[in-house]
Amino acid sequence: MSAEPVAGTMKLFFREAIARALREEMQADARVILLGQDVGAFGGSYKEFARLQAQFGPARVRDTPVAEAAMVGLGVGAAAAGLRPLVSITYMDFLMLGLDPLVNYAAKARFKTGGQITVPLVVKTTAGARGQGVAHSQCLEAWMMGVPGLAVVAPSTPADAYGLLKAALRHDGPVLYVDHKRLFPTAGEVPLAETVLPLGRAATRRQGRDVTVVSHSFMTRVALEAAERLATEAISCEVIDLRSLAPLDLDTVASSAARTGALLTLEEGQLTCGIGAEIAFQVREQAGPIRTARVGAAPAPVSSNPVLEHAALPDAERVAAAVRRLLDAPPAERP
Amino acid sequence: MIYALTVPGPIEDVQEVRVLEWHGVAGQVFAVGELVVELETDKALVEVRAGQPGVLRSVLCGEGDWQALGRPLAILSDTAEEPLPTDTGDLALMAVEFEVS
Repeated sequence: MSAEPVAGTMKLFFREAIARALREEMQADARVILLGQDVGAFGGSYKEFARLQAQFGPARVRDTPVAEAAMVGLGVGAAAAGLRPLVSITYMDFLMLGLDPLVNYAAKARFKTGGQITVPLVVKTTAGARGQGVAHSQCLEAWMMGVPGLAVVAPSTPADAYGLLKAALRHDGPVLYVDHKRLFPTAGEVPLAETVLPLGRAATRRQGRDVTVVSHSFMTRVALEAAERLATEAISCEVIDLRSLAPLDLDTVASSAARTGALLTLEEGQLTCGIGAEIAFQVREQAGPIRTARVGAAPAPVSSNPVLEHAALPDAERVAAAVRRLLDAPPAERP
Repeated sequence: MIYALTVPGPIEDVQEVRVLEWHGVAGQVFAVGELVVELETDKALVEVRAGQPGVLRSVLCGEGDWQALGRPLAILSDTAEEPLPTDTGDLALMAVEFEVS
């Protein structure tokens, strides 16, 4: 076997962790339903909904037409009326069509009604580049982080996918759950015991002394790969996986950055008004002057040409180079 | 001669697989083209067929076990009587045909 079994866990593919979370929540709560394109007999684009329709029937696992605005709108209405829907938007690029019901209705309902109406809706989508070109590759999480009332989570491991999806399905406001195309080939240990991971808690994936690298989703794996390379040069990286973008676990990031004295943010999305810009600013507000640098996508659409796709996106070598530059820079000055 | 049956590859984006089903037990003789084991990736099945005749001697990864590409799944030999070496780390590779579907 490739690794010894870990006590109290079971190794699952990423898709299986998602299916398990849904299966458990649908068994426990008859209000949980699943809506989306090809979620029924087909079992989802990544087979992450495999066999759910066979188990729970076509009334609770519903195939929809290709109509994202209507799908999210249906989910908002169903949630406001008492169900707990998960709406699957295959790729994050298509979520643009569903932003009006998500932002203007789902996220605001609790405020507009003085708490009389909540919208326990989960919109699950898949971000990231993997050879599918300009309109099927984007990471738009940063757009959604600033919507009051909307939680945003983005796991990097099967265990977190399982625990965060369960938390999202139990949350009483809308949650955007974002996974990544390049995470689906991965597998990892998932607790055998039922586990709900609270929203808003980052995880330290690697402890280090010289620099804090903060990331989320697939880029966490890139950060860890860069940290391995830098370790051979005696550069010690602490790697933090945000897991939850809204609410943001600023304390974990800021206390790490204050200790290491340097902060590198890494995201697959755009840098302008990006997650890194927000985190770097908030960390400096909380912890004072700290050297910071950002790594993200080039300011260009992601090509379906693999050479151009690779050229546009961060990889471990670019992250390692950015860490070296950051640590060579003079200490940050108090403004 | 003794052979190691390893996880075949390359398979795009796949680094490790899970054993879904063995189509034989120790002592079974496989002819060229016979299905030996089915493996599972994140989204596909991999059928592994014998690329040379052989006797299945020892299964190293049972059903449900995980294994990395290129790593051994089982030990086979030309004949059923050949003694198995104690060190199976440096065996010749069993020829296989595989199909991802």
